[in-house]
Amino acid sequence: MSFASIQQTAKEEWRQFEQYDRRRVLVGSATCGRAAGSQEVLRAFKKELITNNLLNQTDLYEVGCMGLCYAEVLVELRGTDGQRVLYQGVTPKDVSHLVESHLINNQIHKPLALAVVTSEFNGELPEFSELPFSKPQVRIVLRNCGIIDPTNVNHYIARGGYNGLARAVTLTQDQVIEEIKESGLRGRGGAGFPTGIKWAFARNVADEKKYVICNADEGDPGAFMDRSVLEGDPHAVLEGLVIAGYAIGANTGYVYCRAEYPLAVNRLTGAIAQMHEHGLLGQNIMGSGFSFEIHIKKGAGAFVCGEETSLMQSIEGKRAMPKPKPPFPAVSGLFGKPTNINNVETLAAVSAIMERGAAWYAGYGTEKSRGTKTFALAGKINRTGLIEVPLGTSLRTIIEEIGGGVPEGKKLKAVQTGGPSGGCIPDSFIESPVDYEHLAEVGSIMGSGGMIVIDEESCMVDMARYFLTFTENESCGKCAPCRMGTQHLLKILTDITEGRGEPSDLEKLRQIGATMRNGSLCGLGQTAANPVLTTLKYYEEEYLAHITDKKCPAGVCRDLIDFTIDVDQCTGCGACVLACPVNAIHGARKESHYIDKQMCIRCGSCRQACKFEAVLVI
Amino acid sequence: MSTIKLSIDGQEVEVEQGATVFQAAREAGISIPTICDHKDLSPYGACRMCVVEIEGVRGFPTSCTTPATQGMQVSTRTKRLTDLRNCTLELLFSGHPNSCFACPHREPCETHRPQATKAGRSTRCGFCANREECDLREMVLTSERQELKLPVMYSAYKLERDDPFMDRDYNLCVLCGRCWRICEKIHGEPAISIINRGKWSKISTAFDKSHLESGCNFCGACIDICPTGTLMDRYARWQGKPEHESVSACILCPNGCSVKAENKGGKLLAYTMPGFEAEDRLCALGRFGAAQIVNSTKRLTRPLVREDGDQIPMSWDDALQSVGKGLIARRGTVVVVISATTTREERFIYDRLATALQGHLIVLPFEADCETPKIKELSDSVQQGKVQALITNGPLVSPQILKNVEFSLVIDCLESMASQLATIVLPSAILSEVDGTFKTSSGKIRTLSKSSILPGGARPEWMIICLIAKVLGLNGFDFDRAETITSLIQDDPAPEKFEREPRNNCRDIPIRFRGHLVADFVPGLKAFELPTTLVDEAEDEICNGFALLEKKEIAPNMHLLIIEAPQVARFALPGQFVILMAKETSERSPFTLADWDANAGTISLIIEEVGRSSRELTSLTAGDQLAHVSGPLGLPLSIQEKGTIFLGGGCYGIGAIFPLARILHEAGNRVICMIEAASSHLLYWQQELAEVCDELLIATKDGSGGMHGGIQEGVSSVTEKEHINQCIIIGCTFMMQQVSDLTKTFDIPTLVALNPIMVDGTGMCGACRVSIANQTQFACVDGPFFDGHKVDWEELTLRRNAYAPQEIQALPQGIHLTSCLPTSTLKMGD
Repeated sequence: MSFASIQQTAKEEWRQFEQYDRRRVLVGSATCGRAAGSQEVLRAFKKELITNNLLNQTDLYEVGCMGLCYAEVLVELRGTDGQRVLYQGVTPKDVSHLVESHLINNQIHKPLALAVVTSEFNGELPEFSELPFSKPQVRIVLRNCGIIDPTNVNHYIARGGYNGLARAVTLTQDQVIEEIKESGLRGRGGAGFPTGIKWAFARNVADEKKYVICNADEGDPGAFMDRSVLEGDPHAVLEGLVIAGYAIGANTGYVYCRAEYPLAVNRLTGAIAQMHEHGLLGQNIMGSGFSFEIHIKKGAGAFVCGEETSLMQSIEGKRAMPKPKPPFPAVSGLFGKPTNINNVETLAAVSAIMERGAAWYAGYGTEKSRGTKTFALAGKINRTGLIEVPLGTSLRTIIEEIGGGVPEGKKLKAVQTGGPSGGCIPDSFIESPVDYEHLAEVGSIMGSGGMIVIDEESCMVDMARYFLTFTENESCGKCAPCRMGTQHLLKILTDITEGRGEPSDLEKLRQIGATMRNGSLCGLGQTAANPVLTTLKYYEEEYLAHITDKKCPAGVCRDLIDFTIDVDQCTGCGACVLACPVNAIHGARKESHYIDKQMCIRCGSCRQACKFEAVLVI
Repeated sequence: MSTIKLSIDGQEVEVEQGATVFQAAREAGISIPTICDHKDLSPYGACRMCVVEIEGVRGFPTSCTTPATQGMQVSTRTKRLTDLRNCTLELLFSGHPNSCFACPHREPCETHRPQATKAGRSTRCGFCANREECDLREMVLTSERQELKLPVMYSAYKLERDDPFMDRDYNLCVLCGRCWRICEKIHGEPAISIINRGKWSKISTAFDKSHLESGCNFCGACIDICPTGTLMDRYARWQGKPEHESVSACILCPNGCSVKAENKGGKLLAYTMPGFEAEDRLCALGRFGAAQIVNSTKRLTRPLVREDGDQIPMSWDDALQSVGKGLIARRGTVVVVISATTTREERFIYDRLATALQGHLIVLPFEADCETPKIKELSDSVQQGKVQALITNGPLVSPQILKNVEFSLVIDCLESMASQLATIVLPSAILSEVDGTFKTSSGKIRTLSKSSILPGGARPEWMIICLIAKVLGLNGFDFDRAETITSLIQDDPAPEKFEREPRNNCRDIPIRFRGHLVADFVPGLKAFELPTTLVDEAEDEICNGFALLEKKEIAPNMHLLIIEAPQVARFALPGQFVILMAKETSERSPFTLADWDANAGTISLIIEEVGRSSRELTSLTAGDQLAHVSGPLGLPLSIQEKGTIFLGGGCYGIGAIFPLARILHEAGNRVICMIEAASSHLLYWQQELAEVCDELLIATKDGSGGMHGGIQEGVSSVTEKEHINQCIIIGCTFMMQQVSDLTKTFDIPTLVALNPIMVDGTGMCGACRVSIANQTQFACVDGPFFDGHKVDWEELTLRRNAYAPQEIQALPQGIHLTSCLPTSTLKMGD
């Protein structure tokens, strides 16, 4: 079957999917949705539809993630009037109301309604694309996530999928590379190396056998961009991988995906089978003479496998340890052959670029940082979620508009980007545009896209300690600066947070950090000290408070805080007494209480229990 | 091959294309520090010490992994590099016990202990067998180290001593990766690699199994390439650094591998690989067994002549006369039986002797036993009286033949059934003790060169035969060197093909060498189920002795033992000691009582593993029985109220001062306790001591806890503040001597608990003799406490070291002793 006729079929299928007079239920069922209970919700819908004898007249689909983590379980309903509404926080017990009001009566079920999807029916509800969460976003990588059925290749094709590949194979390899270069796309795995230039390196090495690899070993704590794309739109990534293979002259591709992403692996496996069925993989793809195969390799959960040379050793069946460069993978990579390796998000952008053209993509972003970037927005923020914005969008837009600001009126303290390899950007830089250059300027990195919002109640020393706990565990152990440096940094930070810090510790932290940065073998070690170095740069006084005053200003480090009850605020309600697990709070009813400091284990339960903010941290 | 030119530190260097910057520097004589790089291994880039700066290259690339390119401008010693390297070195070194470097007493201590103490766990250089050869130590000593003062991160891995031939202590490992890389290079699929991640990254086998189960071939390459003391040859471990190396060949099997013979003081320490290439590899027998055979206590060292049924040691001259008589009378009925693993020269000369005596020579195939047809034939000939005299160079014939033949001469190196039955035994030289050539089964001729001193009266076989010929008045035996024989050899056959390949599989190791079962002399081989003839020394029966109630390693290498010994506990007084024997066959060794409980009937001891006896004790586990506990012994400390008493304890002495502190404190004294250890993670009982004294002071040699220094520094600082009426010091001889010298200048009366070698503990044997103010006293009955200012320390040190070589020889080579308690009982390096 020619690609044109495949497209024809796909479009027909999509038309039916989008048919406005047919009832439809879309349940966001990526891993995040499933964790929030989407499978239970889905079952509840099935049951309810059967009860109401509507199952035959309703399309029920699992779709990917739309990125509204704060609103899970997210369900989109369409009644016979064609009105499409997003409902948030759906639980199985809400389902009967939803079916009754929306699917049977074409009435919006207001308590859970978040937005309407199309403007045609815009009434009292805001339109989804006009929500503060959505408005600043530009979804290129996430173009299909939550919209299509990720297990259906026709959905992907109908929305322009594989057009990019179809176009690529009509161009020469160099033309494809030129297109990517022109788009200004930079590696989204963290380092931001221009993708087109990287491809050109691998292309220019002459060898019979070459490889392309998709790095789907997303390991940063709190980062889930790649997972969402793989689960919600696997073909976008695989198409990018085939294009990359074509461009550099490789016939074999690997997707190295963490085994902790079973759904993603599933979706990829299914997608690869569909590609074979449609002649999008295998021999002579689209009649171009170009042949390509893709293998999935499951990673065993080592963070260092995200580092390219380690990842390749892992594919080869060896212990994942970085290798010194040179030789670069483009010259001698997987099995000693020229290899190009790109991150999931990069490849998903590649397929879009090849479809819609370099100029279109380069129209987004800034001069040196073109296009869009996804971020996993988490931490002390009202609307956590997976977002995609043009590079150069300010931190303020991301945090205040998209994220809805810090909850409970607390003050923003910092934004952590880049996970364990990144750094903290203090609130004073809130106007900074988020792009490679500006993040580097303030001492952080773009990283793969983790973005953790920190409020005034977070202790920066404790946070640095948290990240070091991670890297200390995840260092591969090969090179001394990383293996030993992380241990020492963690020990010093632990000492500081537990009240054993000494003034000389700060100099030690800086010195060890510099040694790791300059001396480590791979990116893991070179950046592992970043959480310490940037917090030390911007929050030295907080470190000093721990060391010299033996106090934790944020009230986090247990060994350095005491709880006390404000006699003026305390009403003697006794809530804290009930909450205290060690019976350390005493006082007569309706009279101000006090905490026995000898007994107190500083768990903070009283503070949480108090409705009058009478429990103070000192 | 084309060459390229580059500049290193302004010096122009020309190297072959493909060379690394590191190699280029080495060629130019510019030294760059490294620990993971090795000339026989491919670049790895792990230690990060060899960083350089290259014009136009970002950051600090490692020279070992960077290819040199035309026109490259390299700097190897800028200030930035020095700083980075120093810091990296500190980090690297913090994963390795290093307190000796920060110790203010290092130099006198190393003078006092020219050989490192043979500890179980190496907790510092002074306790490490690799001290003289440690690349890491060398690198630190030559660096301009700055003082980041990073604490040692001691992982408290369990000692790995359950595999044959190798002791492994991964607490010393800096993960340079040389071991697994050489394993991969030599064997293809490596038996070892790095397991785990982060802090717990460690070299091990797949699934952390024993090496025996992992497919390791015990070639020893990893041991030889390890730059730290992590991987050690158990046998050679404490014998010191080899002084002499020579290329020779191993003739323990017909493969006749090339070896490097490593000797010290004329003693063979090991045969090691002549290089680090796959074809250089050795089998476990050659690598580890050769030295154990050569140095076996079962060596024959004197000629023995049977007279009236008994073998009597004789001089060579007398023995040769007897040989002459025996052979002359039996000319024409002489058969010479030798093994195929005999040098060509010896074979030639045996052949010539057989011919001269109108007899004949039988060369038995390698590993042949008495069932060989040739031997059966011989047996018949002996029966029939056709053969009346037999000469053989090993237990190659059946006992029956030896019993039946009229005259038998065994020329051999090791005791055996044959030497016991022989009419005359002449002791011969073997392996590293002989010169000669050997034809391997593949037809190559290898040269053996003598590098070791012959034990006792042993002589090379060719020389023995020449001497015999001389007595017999035969011509053609006037050789003074093996070399002169070599040229006469023509067309000698190669030994029969040896079908097995011991270098690839430990199960292929030859069972016999010249008729001897090799496992009789190399106990580690029993791990491969090789047969032995010697009956195992009877395993001690489980004795109904003294129950070990509790055992735990409370600090690395320091074990607390709580033993049920009601009579000892009932009569014990502070300062007394007990003598323990783990088994009926153990040596008696004295240990100071650290505590006791008369009501419970228990005693507590702190035992530091520093040799065979302490290892036997610390290898016991709770529930085991000790064979003997004798005590309480020695004079207790006399307890009086004296005012301020300073109690100093180091190592096991920390436990030993505990009961003294308690009773002195109860007697109304102001008791200041001071304890010292090399590093803070080696301290123990701080809490316990703090409760029984007025003030507890702590000193560490590396400054990682308390005062930087030792008891000496503590005494000095206390005397600045208050008057000390009495010092009581327990610890190693070096420390007690140092403190005594110091307190003498302060005029503080000082008692020390002396620890000479002791046997019976009751004043009978005199082994524990010490000189106090030039008077002989016995530490067991007159001590252990003596006036530290009057002790003859030099004599004490000499006497303590009197049996050092024997103590090393006594260390177990088998694998039956298990190591220590699980890691969890240890304190981590915090």
